[in-house]
Amino acid sequence: MPFLALSGLSKTYPGVRALDEVSISFEAGEVHAIVGENGAGKSTLIKTIAGAIVADEGTVTIAGRSFADLTPALSRAQGVEVIYQEFNLVPTLSVAENICMGLSTNFFPDFKRMRETARDLLAEFGVDISPNTLVRELPSAQQQLVEIAKALAKSPRILIMDEPTAPLSLAEVDSLFAMIRKTKARGTCIIYVSHRMDEIFAICDRITVLRDGRHVATLATGETDRDTLIRMMVGRELTRTYPERSGSSGDVVLELDALEGNGNAPISLSMRSGEIVGLAGLVGAGRTELAKTICGAVAADSGVLRLDGKEVVFRSPRDALVAGIGLVPENRKEEGTFLEKPIRWNISIGALRFLTRWTTINRPAERKLAEAYRDRLKIKTPSLGQKVGNLSGGNQQKVVIAKTLAARARVILFDEPTRGIDVGARAEVYALMAELAAEGIAILMITSDMEELLGMSDRILVLHNGHLVGTLARAEATQERVLSLASGLKEDKAA
Amino acid sequence: MTSSAFMPLVRRFIIPLVLILLLVLFSVVSPYFLTVQNLTNILVQNAYVIIAAIGLSFVMISGGIDLSIGYQMSVVGVVCAVFMKWFGMPVAPSIALAILIGVLMGLTNGIASITLKVHSLIVTLGTLTIYQGLSYIISNQSAIINLPASFKYIGQGFVFGWIPVSVLLMLACALTAAFILNVTAFGRMIYAIGGNEEAARLSGIPVHKVKVVTYALSSFFVALAAIVLFARSGSAASSTGPGTEFTAITAAVLGGISFKGGEGRVLGLVTGVLILGVLGNGMQLIGLNTYAQYIVKGLVLLAAVGFDTWQNSPKTKRKTV
Repeated sequence: MPFLALSGLSKTYPGVRALDEVSISFEAGEVHAIVGENGAGKSTLIKTIAGAIVADEGTVTIAGRSFADLTPALSRAQGVEVIYQEFNLVPTLSVAENICMGLSTNFFPDFKRMRETARDLLAEFGVDISPNTLVRELPSAQQQLVEIAKALAKSPRILIMDEPTAPLSLAEVDSLFAMIRKTKARGTCIIYVSHRMDEIFAICDRITVLRDGRHVATLATGETDRDTLIRMMVGRELTRTYPERSGSSGDVVLELDALEGNGNAPISLSMRSGEIVGLAGLVGAGRTELAKTICGAVAADSGVLRLDGKEVVFRSPRDALVAGIGLVPENRKEEGTFLEKPIRWNISIGALRFLTRWTTINRPAERKLAEAYRDRLKIKTPSLGQKVGNLSGGNQQKVVIAKTLAARARVILFDEPTRGIDVGARAEVYALMAELAAEGIAILMITSDMEELLGMSDRILVLHNGHLVGTLARAEATQERVLSLASGLKEDKAA
Repeated sequence: MTSSAFMPLVRRFIIPLVLILLLVLFSVVSPYFLTVQNLTNILVQNAYVIIAAIGLSFVMISGGIDLSIGYQMSVVGVVCAVFMKWFGMPVAPSIALAILIGVLMGLTNGIASITLKVHSLIVTLGTLTIYQGLSYIISNQSAIINLPASFKYIGQGFVFGWIPVSVLLMLACALTAAFILNVTAFGRMIYAIGGNEEAARLSGIPVHKVKVVTYALSSFFVALAAIVLFARSGSAASSTGPGTEFTAITAAVLGGISFKGGEGRVLGLVTGVLILGVLGNGMQLIGLNTYAQYIVKGLVLLAAVGFDTWQNSPKTKRKTV
């Protein structure tokens, strides 16, 4: 009997089927990899096991006990520990205090015992960190090892790791693998979520592939290879239809010449007016970072940006917007909108310089502007005085796009333009992007949605780890090639 | 009327309603309350508070706070008196220079808060202490008495024999502030920064510039408030002014200027100050001592904040999609 069994797990979010009747078995003492594209359902799956979200249907069975609605406390009581990608330590406390957090419920903590526990644990796994050090004084790689030690201190029966090697260098990856092997030998079931193929083949016993929230296959590591896995991960049905595009593009508007900064290596690229350039990459590849550098939100370290052939330096997003480059950010609520303010207000906020005469805002002109964009973008609302916070995700996104257009951007950087919006609004956003391109606007589209990437882009650029690793023309782009490049594999291997 | 349509109305009218209720209540319990003399007194006593609170509201709407306004007033008043009495300068240039110094203090606050990247509460706690020191050094810890009559006219005089000059000034300030906040692009930017600073930055608003100008503008009004206050008292000492910040913050919060920024109107603010003023005056008339008044004012503030939190909670707030 498997130690952990998922049966028939389904979870639906507005517009997305995150998990679709997923059934997987995990054994005690195995390292089980979960792989899949961005949005394949990996995170939802591990959150379901951790009790952080409750599936709409299906059960989680741990050591013979079945749960339909697991809570975080209940999951933890069954011996489940999760190491998330986000940092979960208290930076101002010592390594020992962090590792022992939650172990004892005594009112007066026994600091001496905590130090001993931490020291023994770290020594056992061969990690050379003093238990007395404050976590904030450690480099991020060592913090990650502390995070793992903290989970191991609970002697978990099921240990889930989400991209654990992301902050680690090669040497620390070796310590991590040593920790994993020891833990596995004790009979712990380890679930290892990663998109780094070499690590998966180095440490995992079995591999489960997810795609579009569905369980594709579970294979023994010895019986498969990278290319097979990549094919399984992509193999997506392309069901949606995308607007017809003429495909003719104009002159080069935006050029990056070895632009470096915000954690990315020097990147060179160019965009023509009327072109939709897709920017692909796995989470953390540096796509949003690149967009933020282009639009002046983060200063570049070196390199040159040219607009219409002329060198430009942006000190702020304002400089970029005045020059004609606008960003439609990934996080609508935090970076794109003013939720407490009316739609009209949100649309005009970037265009005040066109609406102001003698410092006074021309209200009739403002209303006309907002009405024009409401009609053009089909923003569904009873009134332009409605607070943006009261709109659906799709309509909020249209407001953000309207704001960028009203500011007269000629180059628009769309960061995940259809994230969290429903199918109808999605189609409208695609139609709008096609229309804008036809009018000569250059579009850079960052997306984690493979279908959208292939359906909308004239050209696809792929980032991996802060480097531009490939450019694919529309005709030569396939899911396999994009994903191979994004995973850091050599182009010829997967082609 | 559905509850979702009703709540915003309650929110909008509860504060004026409280003011009206207080006016009615005190008119009933005290025969001395509802007289032209007494009501004029309330306005005159609170004119400088309203002007200072208007100044503060600019900073609060932009998402910041300025604790130093009390000592800014102290510096402005003392400097103005020193110019007039010790240097023998005429009244008008003395006032102009004093206001300029006030604006410089605001600029300092603004520049410090964007360069230090610390919450403005801490920054202005620091500058508060600096301005306190400056004021006492300039005044040499002495009171400067017998300020010129034309100066005192600003705080004590009447136009046409019955309209207090300070109240006229207060009205002018309120109208100017309402104009800036509601009609100009600059006002829009202040709300945008207070509402969502990162979105404002990405929408092409020059956040740093706007913030610095906001602090300076705020201090301009605060300096005017200082002139009105010192002109009313007729003498200048460094201890005059401090404490205004807390009345102003209380009034601003009462009047619907959100502590988080991005929200607030001048009319609400004026109503907030008047509630505190009427409350103080009325309680005085019915014989409650100063300390009991503190307790009531504190309770009123907590009740107002509690009401705001309650009506903003997801349970009370109806979602419309």
